[in-house]
Amino acid sequence: MNIIEKLRDIVGERASASPAERLCYSSDASQVRGTPDCVVRPLSTAEVSSVVELAAAEGVPVTARGAGTGLAGGAVPLRGGIVLDLSGMDRIVELDLSNLAVVVEPGVVQARLNERLRPRGFFFPPDPGSAAFCTIGGLIANNGSGMRSVKYGTTRNYVLDLEVVLADGSVVRTGSRTLKAAAGYDLTRLFIGSEGTLGIITQAVLRVAPLPKARRLVIAAFDSAEEAGRTVAATFAAGIVPSACEILDRTTVAVLRRCDPTLRLPDGDVLLFEVDGSEGAAAEAAAEIAALSSTTAASVAVVAGAEEMEEIWAARRLVGAAISRLDPAKSRIYVGEDVGVPIKEIPALIREVSEISDRFGIPAMKYGHIGDGNLHVALFIDVLDDGEWARLAGAADAIHRAAIRLGGTVSSEHGIGAARSEYMNEQLGSSALSVMRAIKGALDPRGIMNPGKLGLDDGPSPGGYG
Amino acid sequence: MIEMRREVEDSRSGTETKTETKETKVETAEISIDPRTIELCVRCGTCRSVCPAFEVLGWESKNTRGRVMVAKALGEGLAPDASVLDSLNTCTTCGICAAKCPAGANPPAIVQSARMGLVSQGVMTEAQAGFRTRIAESGNTFGEGGDRLGWLSDPDREGLKESSDLVYFVGCLDSYRYPEVAKKTFDLLKRFGATLLPEEVCCGSPLIRTGSDAGKFVDRNLRQIKMIGAKTVITGCAGCYSTLKKDYPPEFEVVSVPEFLAEHLAELDLRRLDLTVTYHDPCHLGRGSGIFDPPREVIKAICRLEEMRSNRQDARCCGGGGGVRAGYPDLSLEIAKLRLQDVPAGVDAIVSCCPLCIRNLSDASSEVEVIDLVDLVERAIVPP
Ligand SMILES: Cc1cc2nc3c(=O)[nH]c(=O)nc-3n(C[C@H](O)[C@H](O)[C@H](O)COP(=O)(O)OP(=O)(O)OC[C@H]3O[C@@H](n4cnc5c(N)ncnc54)[C@H](O)[C@@H]3O)c2cc1C
Ligand code: SF4
Ligand code: SF4
Repeated sequence: MNIIEKLRDIVGERASASPAERLCYSSDASQVRGTPDCVVRPLSTAEVSSVVELAAAEGVPVTARGAGTGLAGGAVPLRGGIVLDLSGMDRIVELDLSNLAVVVEPGVVQARLNERLRPRGFFFPPDPGSAAFCTIGGLIANNGSGMRSVKYGTTRNYVLDLEVVLADGSVVRTGSRTLKAAAGYDLTRLFIGSEGTLGIITQAVLRVAPLPKARRLVIAAFDSAEEAGRTVAATFAAGIVPSACEILDRTTVAVLRRCDPTLRLPDGDVLLFEVDGSEGAAAEAAAEIAALSSTTAASVAVVAGAEEMEEIWAARRLVGAAISRLDPAKSRIYVGEDVGVPIKEIPALIREVSEISDRFGIPAMKYGHIGDGNLHVALFIDVLDDGEWARLAGAADAIHRAAIRLGGTVSSEHGIGAARSEYMNEQLGSSALSVMRAIKGALDPRGIMNPGKLGLDDGPSPGGYG
Repeated sequence: MIEMRREVEDSRSGTETKTETKETKVETAEISIDPRTIELCVRCGTCRSVCPAFEVLGWESKNTRGRVMVAKALGEGLAPDASVLDSLNTCTTCGICAAKCPAGANPPAIVQSARMGLVSQGVMTEAQAGFRTRIAESGNTFGEGGDRLGWLSDPDREGLKESSDLVYFVGCLDSYRYPEVAKKTFDLLKRFGATLLPEEVCCGSPLIRTGSDAGKFVDRNLRQIKMIGAKTVITGCAGCYSTLKKDYPPEFEVVSVPEFLAEHLAELDLRRLDLTVTYHDPCHLGRGSGIFDPPREVIKAICRLEEMRSNRQDARCCGGGGGVRAGYPDLSLEIAKLRLQDVPAGVDAIVSCCPLCIRNLSDASSEVEVIDLVDLVERAIVPP
């Protein structure tokens, strides 16, 4: 009996090896490619466990996949084998709000969870730009985060307990439902950010937070992105912690305004500071930031209307791919898009990225979570021009190396996957990487869990561009 | 590799369609779609959250992004087996993905081009082939042999004007499945001088949507429209509206029944009814053509309107379009059931302006009646 038949014995029609499925599961939102031999859509922990047990027995790689919105090829089966599409395990199992906890399956989409929580006055804070379509499992496996992580932290701060299927098919629970626990190694955190290389997350107990009563948005425009960067550093030095702190460089602002001419954004390099809390606290913090920015900014405005704030955030969330709306011959390619540096190095990073963009002749929009040092660089090219692909790869590499040189990271939230695995040694150093490899070897001795990722094993690293 | 029907068809300019069905094996199908339109998709996955077929089926190949990948791969030599055809043909062409796509891609247009590329090489599903055969043989999507104007009363038939500024284009569905709606619509429109095409045939929508050429039918209708001298063609079907507007030469104005009724509200002399209804925006009329307000104006002139949970630009699909009702009836019904979850509690009826939506939603709805806007108007007309 071949593997697809054995998989059908476990999940019935929810296993496929059809050409269309093998093609459609061969990529995520990155440029990494790898074709699975078959795809399985399990609906329960028991099914996941049986599939992994089978894979272990046959020595077949297993790659977990949520919504496939990852930007590093994490969900791409580099060495073939089985893709486990967990997006069908999408039940919100329990809202346990008196314990500030919810229990979810990994396929729950972030926004669906927040739709359920909002009427109850709570929210799950990690808010990636992909919130409307990425899964909680993917967020946990990538330690994803978003605009509000500057105040609320990343997914890591909201996971209390996980149910994980290990590489031999056995099932473990990693934590407890308590908000604090001091009981040995923190296995929960071990699996957060592990990108499917240690086990398959089949259930998560998440901590949620009460929704703030009020929000304000301060919009400040600057003559240069470096000036904006310095203002962010000064704001933090003054002891103010905004709930979001985003930069949109002048190219990004121009793109947004051309997409939606009614959008009220000033000219220049723009900072968006959001503050939240009680009415009084939000208003006071907004006034403080406005006063502080006005010494360096060309213009400062405070927005209090919920609708206008949401319009600006919605435009911000979609900016990544919007360039094609202005010029259909240009596409945004997600490479070198997620670097991060210590906050005080932000002006230097911005300067270097501009220089790299000029040097390689690849236009760049710079935007992102400047408040936590995370700069998204949107490089865009004509995808039908091979020469532009080559220069793009050069520019992305230079951006990654610049971030490492400035004491930063090649990825702040999108993960390493296959797209950035070649930088792991340089960023972490060989001793830290050896510890990671030892952990990997202990939990997955046969190397079947998402092989080829995180720089943990030798062999083909990036799937290549294009 | 699957067995498929291969048909040989003449081009748009040709006269009769020669349908020569023979079994064939297709290894690869080269299709050419402007790579720019495909490359616009950056595979971000935004459309996963809105594609109705995907919500039911759950496989990547059955969502927007997957279909774009399949269309691209066909151009690079992917063999069009059953899984490929199912990927492309489970799209209802509802267009909500295009409305949400941050990169400005137009996936239903890509799907339609891919279907067309395959069909032109004889690669198609039974359902696609069925449309071609039935419409070629009978001039309507059902293969009905009967009189298309069977619903018309004898005096009306005799009194039909041979020339007029205004023509009512009935469409296959109302002609054969909802003749009473056709009659009610014509009763309203003839007050304003409307006439009918003497030999109306299918507008071509089902053919175009499923990848076939409709030139012959476009020509036949167009010839009659010109003969009558009509400046305005009015239709009560969202599919016909979209096709007449976008796939016919722009030689006449196309007006939907709800637009016409809203425009002439004052002349209709309607009384108010003690009802609460909700309104389903047909994809091709609402999102596809921007007609959101006129049906609502008419409803509000008659009774209370409570919106569906998703409405206007965000309205979810009924599941009937794009050949899905014919090709994948179970999927179509499941999508309709999802749409019914948007209906507010306690309404007396679901009103819509497209017989295909009405039919699909009715099949899935056991509780609430699904009616045409014209049915509602007729109930509100003060008898003379
Ligand atoms: C337009 C756009 C905007 C984005 N914005 C942000 C942003 O602001 N912040 C951010 O952090 N990310 C962002 N991302 C990246 C992406 O959405 C996140 O990385 C997200 O967490 C991935 O979730 P997913 O469900 O798509 O996971 P996938 O891409 O399917 O998988 C991601 C990784 O998680 C692993 N995985 C998935 N599910 C499981 C599981 N149940 N058990 C074990 N491993 C699993 C996979 O193997 C893979 O390594 C953005 C992406 C796009 C396209
Ligand atoms: S939303 Fe647009 S760009 Fe994103 S995957 Fe869908 S079609 Fe492609
Ligand atoms: S047009 Fe509708 S059914 Fe087709 S891919 Fe887009 S969202 Fe899905």
